[in-house]
Formats: sequence, structure tokens, C-alpha cells
Amino acid sequence: MKLARYLLAAAVATASLAATADAQTRKVKIATEGAYAPWNFTNSQGKLEGFELDLGAELCKRAKFDCEFLAQDWDGIIPSLTAKKYDAIMAGMNITPKRMETLAFTQPYAGGPHGFMTLKSSPLAKLPTGNYNLSKDLASAEKAIDGLKDQFKGKVIGVQGSTTNSAFAEKYFKGVAEIREYKTTEQHDLDLAAGRIDAAVMAHTAATATIDGPNGKEMMIAGPAFRGGILGLGVAVGLRKDDADLKKAFDDAITAAIADGTIKTLTIKWFKIDLTPQS
Amino acid sequence: MPTGAKSYFELMQWGPNGWLDEMVFATGLTLIVALTGFLLGLVFGGIAAAGRMSGHRLLERVSITYTTILRGVPDLLVIYLFYFGGSAIVTAIGNKLGYDGFIGVPGFVAGTLAIGLVSGAYQSEVIRGSFLAMPSGEIEAARAFGMSGLTLVRRIVGPQVLRYAVPGLGNIWQLVLKEAALVAVVGLAVHWAGIKIGDVVLIHETRFSDLLRQAHVAAGSTRQPFPFYITCAAFYLALTTLSTWLFRRAEAWARRGMRGS
Repeated sequence: MKLARYLLAAAVATASLAATADAQTRKVKIATEGAYAPWNFTNSQGKLEGFELDLGAELCKRAKFDCEFLAQDWDGIIPSLTAKKYDAIMAGMNITPKRMETLAFTQPYAGGPHGFMTLKSSPLAKLPTGNYNLSKDLASAEKAIDGLKDQFKGKVIGVQGSTTNSAFAEKYFKGVAEIREYKTTEQHDLDLAAGRIDAAVMAHTAATATIDGPNGKEMMIAGPAFRGGILGLGVAVGLRKDDADLKKAFDDAITAAIADGTIKTLTIKWFKIDLTPQS
Repeated sequence: MPTGAKSYFELMQWGPNGWLDEMVFATGLTLIVALTGFLLGLVFGGIAAAGRMSGHRLLERVSITYTTILRGVPDLLVIYLFYFGGSAIVTAIGNKLGYDGFIGVPGFVAGTLAIGLVSGAYQSEVIRGSFLAMPSGEIEAARAFGMSGLTLVRRIVGPQVLRYAVPGLGNIWQLVLKEAALVAVVGLAVHWAGIKIGDVVLIHETRFSDLLRQAHVAAGSTRQPFPFYITCAAFYLALTTLSTWLFRRAEAWARRGMRGS
């Protein structure tokens, strides 16, 4: 009988996924990964939580949408959207040129700095700090990067493959340091702890989460913070290209949420730093 | 956001504060997906093997094409084709019939059908091999007794083919069990309202996926990967160990009348 109950539950769950309704308020199904704390994750009661869940609710209230968040494995998230299983993606997804070939993006709703994470005991821990925007002032950012190259000579840098971070490392540190690609950030964190790499190029939010985590005691963020340019335009809502109405509604809602400080409040709540996108 | 590390036993509590219940339910879901896929595969495999040995030119060709393609492409690709392609086809048909809108193929159906088709291709080869291993005199003797058609299959061919097939099928079952993790890409998740008797909550309301994705979700959500991946591995091992034992018993039972067993 237990089997039957499981099957029934599975059928109900999938049936509700397939159901469509056209009420006067538009129903919007938002896909998220549910495994990327603190952006979006699942608590031990199976409920979705995180920055994007809070923000999504805010945006939908403003746009007068009836929204539903659904967890979806990262690997299938873009094809599921184009196959119309979902209407939007809010899953810590950065705007990149590659993704823009298949998706439309709203304006970014969060954009944090990127930089280096290293061990406290490493010589790289004493890199000069700073704050650079590759979109606004590329010249001074590149000058700062050139200044770092001496310290990185012969070192090994870990990055997550196919990300803005790996593009940044390839562009500026190829030939200076050895660049090693990993499938997930967790993996380069473990190799940093094991001493196989000297530093990881990653989003500061991800670095902070690692440092606050159980294995992060020996780690720290070092060197300057970079944003913009090759590091991407920030995290945004991913949409189908032909869904112009949805893009306009989300864009307006994000503009309003930036203007009244909602995004600042929510990012401080979840990340302890302000990640309001800087245009 | 969970702050600080929790101990293994804190993480693996049963109930709303821990993940053990989700992990156990996820193991159940994996088992159901695998079992459904495997049984569907037995049906597809049986049909394909019958077609291959039917002596009919066209049926033979169809069956060879099926086993060649489905054993030759990655399983994940088959799942993608069914889930995304299937929805596109069903929607196109729906639109032709006057319904405008999207019609989804449920993830459970697409996932188990894909696993069934892939494992069926392998199973058909095992079944064919078992059929060939059966002495042809058995069929001749049965025919001499006047058996034909379904009676022949039910009484003589079926039991003997299964006897030879059990070890090979056991092997495929282990593969299917692990393949079930691939259905995570179709977003298969179960929302369970739980079980209550009066005010006493026996099992609280929760949501879970298949075992591997559940471990990934819990790892990413708590930022403590090892406890979940180790538990996940242990649960998979428990499933495979149990099924190895069951298949061994089935094998002993199937061979009970044979010499040297």
C-alpha cells in the first residue's frame, strides 16, 4: 500500500506541474535549483528558502503575478524553460553572452564582487586590496591586475569551469599561473584546503559561505574585489526570448525593488553584504 | 542560512529538524523509479527478443535497430528526448486538435519510460542469449506433445529462459538502480502531505526527490556535503546488497531442478 501512496503522490506532484490555468492574474512558474545556499536552498522540511525565494515573492507581488517556485536540477534548468515547463529562472544565474544566445535576461537583481579566496597561511593572503569595476574603469582595473601578476607567478588558481570566474582567470592569468578547472566550487574549496591550489577565483558570496562553513576556518578572501566586464553583468531572471511581457513586468519590479531598498535589505539579510547591482 | 557546522547525528535526525526522513523517502522513490523502469524493460526486452527470433524479416530488423540505438546512445539523452521532445510532440498534437497551450509529459512517465526502453534493449539481449542456451530438443518435445503458441511459451520456454536469464537480469537491475538517478534532470519531486492520526503527526509534510538529487540538495543547502554523500552511498549499497541477495535466491530457486546446483 505504501507503494501505491508513493505513486499517487508522484502522480499528483507531476500533474500539478503539468496543470495550466489562466486566471486574471498571470500564473508564473519559477524554476530554482534549491541547492545553492544562501541564494536558494531547501530546508530539512523540504521547503524552499533563500534570497531568491524572498525576492521572487516581492517581485511577483509588485508585478501582480501568481508565482510558484519549483525546484529543478541545474542540468535541466535551461532546456526546461525553453520547453515551457517553467516561465522564469531565478537560480543565482549570471548574465553571460553564451546564455544570452538561448535566454532573455532581465536587468540584474544582484551583482556582487568577485575575487580571490586563499589560505590564511598563504603568501597570497597579503595581496593589496581594492575595489575595481571592469565596466566603468577598465584601465585602472587592469593596472591593478598587472600589479598582482608577480605574486601569482608559478601558482595554481582553481576556478569553476564555464563561469565568469573561469573567463576572468583565463583572460588575465593564463601563462602567469596554472589555471585548474573544477565542476563545482565545492571541489576547488576542498583542493584549496588540501593545498593542491593556491587560490580560487570566485564570487565573494560563495567565498563567504565557504569561510562561514565547517571547513572554512583556515580560509580568507584576499586581494582586490572586481566586478563588471568579463565578470558578467550580475544575476538576473532568465526568461524565454519571446516572453516580452514577462521581461517588462520583471524589469519594472526590479527597478522598484532597487529604488526602495528592498534588494539592499534582502541581500544584507541573506549574504551579510549589500549586493544591490551597480549600474 | 545554516550557521556553523552541525554534527552528523544532528543532520540525520528523523523529522522536521533533520534530513533522515527525506533521505529514506528518496531511497523509496529511487526504488520505485528503478522497479518501474526495470519491469517496463522486461516487457520491451521480451517483445524485442521475440521479434529478433521470430524469423520475420521486418520484425527482426526493427528489433535489431531498437537494441543497437538504445544501447548505443547515452541514457541521459534518451531521457531528454522523452521529456522535452515528448512534451513538444504532445503539445503539437494538442494544438492541432484545437487546444492551445502547453501540455507536459509528467517527469515520472518520461523518466521511467526512458529507463524502460534503455534497459529493455539490454534485457532483450539477455533474454535472447537465454533462449539460445535452451536445448532445442525441449521445444521439439513440447511440440510432439501437441503444445503450441502461448502454452509452449508459458510452460516450456518462459520458465527455462528465465532460469538462464536471472544472473544477467540481476546485473541489469543493478545498472537500472543507478540509472534511476538520471531522472533528476526531469525535476521529479514528490510533495507528500505526511501521515497524521488525530493530532499525532506520524510523518510530517515534506518534499523530496530521488536519492542522489536529495543528497545534492541537502549538501548544497547545508553546505556540508560529506554527511549526505556518505549516507547516500550507504543507502545505495544497502539497496544493491539486498537485491544481490534476492537475485541469488531467485537464481537458486530457478536452478532447483538442475544438476550440480
